[in-house]
Amino acid sequence: MSEQGDKLGAEGARKWPTKPEFTPEMLEEMEKLLPAKLNRVVAASLSGCIHCGMCSDACHYSVSIPEDKTLVPAYKADRFRKWYKSRYDWLGQIFPSFVGAHKLDKELADDMYDKLWGACTMCRRCTFNCPMGVDYGMLVRAARGIMQQVGRVPQHLQDTVDTHHNSGNNMAVPRDEFIETMEWIEEELQDEEGCENFKIPVDKKGAQYFLTLNPREPKYYPLTIQASAKVLNAAGVDFTISSRYWDLTNYALFNGYDPDAKEFSMWQVEDVKRLGCEYLLAGECGHGYRSLRWELPNWVGGVPFKITSMMELLAKLVQQHRLKLAKSVWKGHRFTYHDSCNIARSGGIMEEPRIIINAATDDFVEMEHNRENSYCCGGGGGALAMPEFTPRRIAAGKIKADEIKATGADIVLQSCHNCTDQLKEIIEHYHIKAKVMNLAELLAPALII
Amino acid sequence: MENHVSYALHILEEPVQYLALAFMALMYIIKISQMLKKPIPPEKAELKGDRVAGAFDSLLNVLKPWSMESTRNNPYFYIEFLIFHIGVALTIGATFFIPLFPSLMTLTVSKIFMIFMGLAFLIGLRRIYRRLTVPEIRIISSPDDFFAITLMTVFFAVGFGAMSLWIKGSPDTGWMWIFFLMTTFFLLYVPFSKISHYVLYPFGRINFGRIFGGRGVLNKNVKAPSWNPK
Ligand code: SF4
Ligand code: SF4
Repeated sequence: MSEQGDKLGAEGARKWPTKPEFTPEMLEEMEKLLPAKLNRVVAASLSGCIHCGMCSDACHYSVSIPEDKTLVPAYKADRFRKWYKSRYDWLGQIFPSFVGAHKLDKELADDMYDKLWGACTMCRRCTFNCPMGVDYGMLVRAARGIMQQVGRVPQHLQDTVDTHHNSGNNMAVPRDEFIETMEWIEEELQDEEGCENFKIPVDKKGAQYFLTLNPREPKYYPLTIQASAKVLNAAGVDFTISSRYWDLTNYALFNGYDPDAKEFSMWQVEDVKRLGCEYLLAGECGHGYRSLRWELPNWVGGVPFKITSMMELLAKLVQQHRLKLAKSVWKGHRFTYHDSCNIARSGGIMEEPRIIINAATDDFVEMEHNRENSYCCGGGGGALAMPEFTPRRIAAGKIKADEIKATGADIVLQSCHNCTDQLKEIIEHYHIKAKVMNLAELLAPALII
Repeated sequence: MENHVSYALHILEEPVQYLALAFMALMYIIKISQMLKKPIPPEKAELKGDRVAGAFDSLLNVLKPWSMESTRNNPYFYIEFLIFHIGVALTIGATFFIPLFPSLMTLTVSKIFMIFMGLAFLIGLRRIYRRLTVPEIRIISSPDDFFAITLMTVFFAVGFGAMSLWIKGSPDTGWMWIFFLMTTFFLLYVPFSKISHYVLYPFGRINFGRIFGGRGVLNKNVKAPSWNPK
């Protein structure tokens, strides 16, 4: 890792050699990569499917686009499973077509690319409805990792990972620019009534919480940082933001490349240790939270600090009465909450957002499917970084749009930046009159300071 | 009942069936050991729930139709699943009870077996129809899927036929021979077929339960939930 003041990110810039199509050499390479991806969860998921079809109604793609039967989860997973069976299924090696096995050829690989990058957000809703416990999150990530390693990965997604690798954050925000942005946001915050003494401490050693951000915030949504900082200051939370590895995203979760996932995690671990913080605090970001909370300790082999999230911390502050809130601020508005898949189903945070919301408003309506049953909005799994699949992504958001509409809410709350962008797009596309906000933005205006 | 099968049929049951059973067990041991050799993904994160309780919770999923939306919203599907699998167990069990413990197969017991065989047969027919006609099921079906369900359905029919002759006092019939031969075939074929999914079931369920139990998604009544500030 670079020393403080040095360039952030890895030594030497990298541009991953992506390929426009599969070649015989790439297929050969994929054959070599497959065995290493078969841990027990992936292997059981590949061999355990009984083609019962019970997952068909669980997927937002198949529910929103019912005319395309190739979007049912089992069909999509079978693009990978066919290849697996041709190598590991006893009958599949002798009578491949009898068990639906198929040697990896260009056609199958192309199909795998289309379905496992462009028609699955790894949201695991099907997994929760599968009697055999087939884990689509792990299965699809394994397949993506193999394709990525031979260069067949959506360009924009890989560019995002490369940028993170080269600059230490996925939007290549330079360190001095980031510090300036934080100073500017702090000034803006101090201009708010009652917030004259509020601070956004950067690189404060020994702070209790090491707050991380999604690079979209300093770039495009500085007001969300302002809102978070306002709430934390109002509750007297001792936090800091690093000027170095403040980016909580880890798009290597989506492209399946473990060495990068581990590298990004390691930078952050070293940075938390540098500042001597007690908690690594994930900001409001779905995959970022899951990457830090549940995957980082595995990628780096354990950490000497605790990891939590804004959702958990805010709920705790509410329950400890450290935030005084005026519900009247939101009078006349109806709220609903979208559970990000990585926060709820894959992250275990389901009640905390509701504690926060109910502290700030009396008009909260749940969507028909909520908590671990929530449908993916369609923006997960790196989908927003794959523009080639945009029409399908928007179409797949229909079920979520319908559920939002049914609540009659004019404000959709969520805690994830990918969800924010997708929700905004589907709300516009499906003509819903609602705006999208995160939880800090809900609390900040209601604070009595 | 005093019915006894012939010596020849007994031979088919005793050494032949036992050999087939031993073969099946061997294949399963290989299958299970192959799976056990695969590394378990590590979990070094501080847990929110209990991985062991999650695994148990997940294994018992089969008895909790309310735990999955797919069965919660479709109780008929779940009842069908239950009857079908009880039918499988009783039909295979019958081929062992009839020659080995004929005294256990009283008229009442035999009739219960037959009821499940008959229902499982009808469910089998419905499942074949569903696989053929529901587009999202058909598109994921391989010949093995059709073969497995057809074989089971025929097996139930043959079992039902053999049992109905059995209770009328005709144990050693062509039906019974086919019934026993089919069982032997099953024991040899199943390890290679999707029917062996029950061997993989614990793996899938335990994997699921450990991951989501540890994260507090499954067993939500964890001792110290993170939303409890105490
Ligand atoms: S993981 Fe989500 S997106 Fe992928 S197949 Fe399952 S339900 Fe669909
Ligand atoms: S529910 Fe599970 S076993 Fe059934 S088709 Fe879907 S993935 Fe396969």
